[in-house]
Amino acid sequence: MAATPASLAKASGGQRPPGFTGWMLLAPLLLWLGLFIVFPTAILFVYSFCQRDELGQVVFEFTWSNYARIIDPIYLRILGRSLWYAALTTGLCLIVGYPVAYFIGRSPPRRRSLLLLLVMIPFWISFLLRTYAWISLLKGEGLLSALLQWSQLIVGPLEVLYTPTAVIIGLVYTYLPFMILPIFTSAEKLDDAMIEAALDLGAGPVRAFTQVILPLTKPGIFAGVLLVFVPSIGMFAITDLMGGAKVSMIGNVIQNQFGQARDWPFGAALGITFLALFAVAFWFLHDRQGAVK
Amino acid sequence: MKNRLRTLLTLGLALGAALHLAAAKKEINLFGWSEYVPQAVLDQFEKESGIKVNYETYASNEEMLSKLLGGAAQYDLVQPTDYVVEALIKAGKLEVIDFSRIPNMKNVGAEFLRQPHDPEQKYSVPYMAGTVGIVVNTEKVKQPITGLKDVFSGTCAGRIVTLNDNRELLTWALRTLGRDINTITPEAIEAARPVLAQWLPQIKVYDSDSPKTSLLGGEVDIGVVWSGEAALLYQENKKFAYILPQEGAHLWIDSLVIPKGAPHKADAEAFINFILRPEISVLISAAFPYTNPNLAARKLLSPEQLGNPASYPAPCKLEAFKDIGKAASIVDKLITDLKGGS
Repeated sequence: MAATPASLAKASGGQRPPGFTGWMLLAPLLLWLGLFIVFPTAILFVYSFCQRDELGQVVFEFTWSNYARIIDPIYLRILGRSLWYAALTTGLCLIVGYPVAYFIGRSPPRRRSLLLLLVMIPFWISFLLRTYAWISLLKGEGLLSALLQWSQLIVGPLEVLYTPTAVIIGLVYTYLPFMILPIFTSAEKLDDAMIEAALDLGAGPVRAFTQVILPLTKPGIFAGVLLVFVPSIGMFAITDLMGGAKVSMIGNVIQNQFGQARDWPFGAALGITFLALFAVAFWFLHDRQGAVK
Repeated sequence: MKNRLRTLLTLGLALGAALHLAAAKKEINLFGWSEYVPQAVLDQFEKESGIKVNYETYASNEEMLSKLLGGAAQYDLVQPTDYVVEALIKAGKLEVIDFSRIPNMKNVGAEFLRQPHDPEQKYSVPYMAGTVGIVVNTEKVKQPITGLKDVFSGTCAGRIVTLNDNRELLTWALRTLGRDINTITPEAIEAARPVLAQWLPQIKVYDSDSPKTSLLGGEVDIGVVWSGEAALLYQENKKFAYILPQEGAHLWIDSLVIPKGAPHKADAEAFINFILRPEISVLISAAFPYTNPNLAARKLLSPEQLGNPASYPAPCKLEAFKDIGKAASIVDKLITDLKGGS
């Protein structure tokens, strides 16, 4: 599965094998991947076939039971909901993010960097702090509620906090920049001549968009969708804080196994199952994208 | 030749003295709950005894267990909750405490000693205790609340905060059914299921870390929370009443224990003895208004501190948790299922 420098070079059209310098340049990344991704995943894989003792320590006795437990409808239902929420989040991020990214990408350079800065600024503030800010915005005695009541748009306090809607708001807010940035990169590289050519050849704005702009920004959309969809499935902090821990997503279930339930092997099995699902989904999408090209 | 020997000897002596000095700089490693031991107490202990306390913190018993059992760090003192003390004793992970070094143990009230988690009181010393009870915003909730069945009667639906703790939730249901809270069998789980299925949809927020936030913010009007949170709410505003449910309440005790193989056992015992001094214990109560098991220290508390109903509630049927071991998994499954269904 792991791409060797040689295969990467081939994929990008290069002919030369990377040689010593290439390997040296790659070394930090490979070391990082090995130490912090491959090795821990291997540990998780081993744990997922183990059992737990009374104290919650992992006992190295082989069992399939952790995987058998995942098929339980309880967990499948939560998995289904997590996928649905993540898809909804991704869809909303795409609808909101695409025009923004396109606009930034087509702006004159000076304004472009200012707009990009505005997208990046939230990253300077701690994620938890921003989530708590949302809580005070959305709560029944909060700012938004007061504003809406004052303008007589709603009667009585706003009932959004600690509902699934609040979770979706939190997810879209958190992951929006991850949709904007890759699409922006694609939009920035768009050649004006292509769009002009499309219009000259009689395409209306809609056709120019669907047949020229959209295909050309597709790599950005693909990257954005992945960057939003994958982490939002596993998110647990937003569901805890903004959803009042009522709406469990699969991330919460996994977190619970490593916390309260003290059942690391089951948590590991959930994690590994997830990883496998992602790998398969990625492969599928990637292959199809290749086929389209 | 003789000269060289003398130089060597002097060097050796100097080295020995340096090593001795380094050894004399004593320290203990305390692994405790975050926000639980005031810095002033640690400073005073260091000033008096010359023993430096390295205070490392955790946010949950489970986090502590995984670090302690991981075995990477050498802790001298840990602060687990009762049921975890029991599990650690069962697993042979604790040192027997030498109580001859802790004369101040006499200050601890008898009702906090020889509890089910440490029946012979050999391994643990109570640090702070508390209950899980009902906190009511009396300005908003007018009907009388005496027990859990009033909280979940339906009149408060959507205005409730509870701990986000699967075992607690199950315990409340078991108690209402009049069942033993420490017998967690598949049969008990099934008995509790319909009760919880009716209760959980009424809960607006689950929050173990800071349930007081949603009560203070007016998001909810009633809660089933740690007594410490309720005590802080009462300090903030007297409208927050604390009631121990008539069905019975969970009494928890956080203890100081010494893990097996602790490198500075005697110094750790000196620290425990220091903590149990009334005038020191009072400092802890002032910062963290839990139930202080130190009766000598309680005499030094102000009437207002003693009058806080969440710190010192009226007597009621109190029960401690026993470790349930692997049954934690079926509890987790039940609550996950019921939450998932809502």
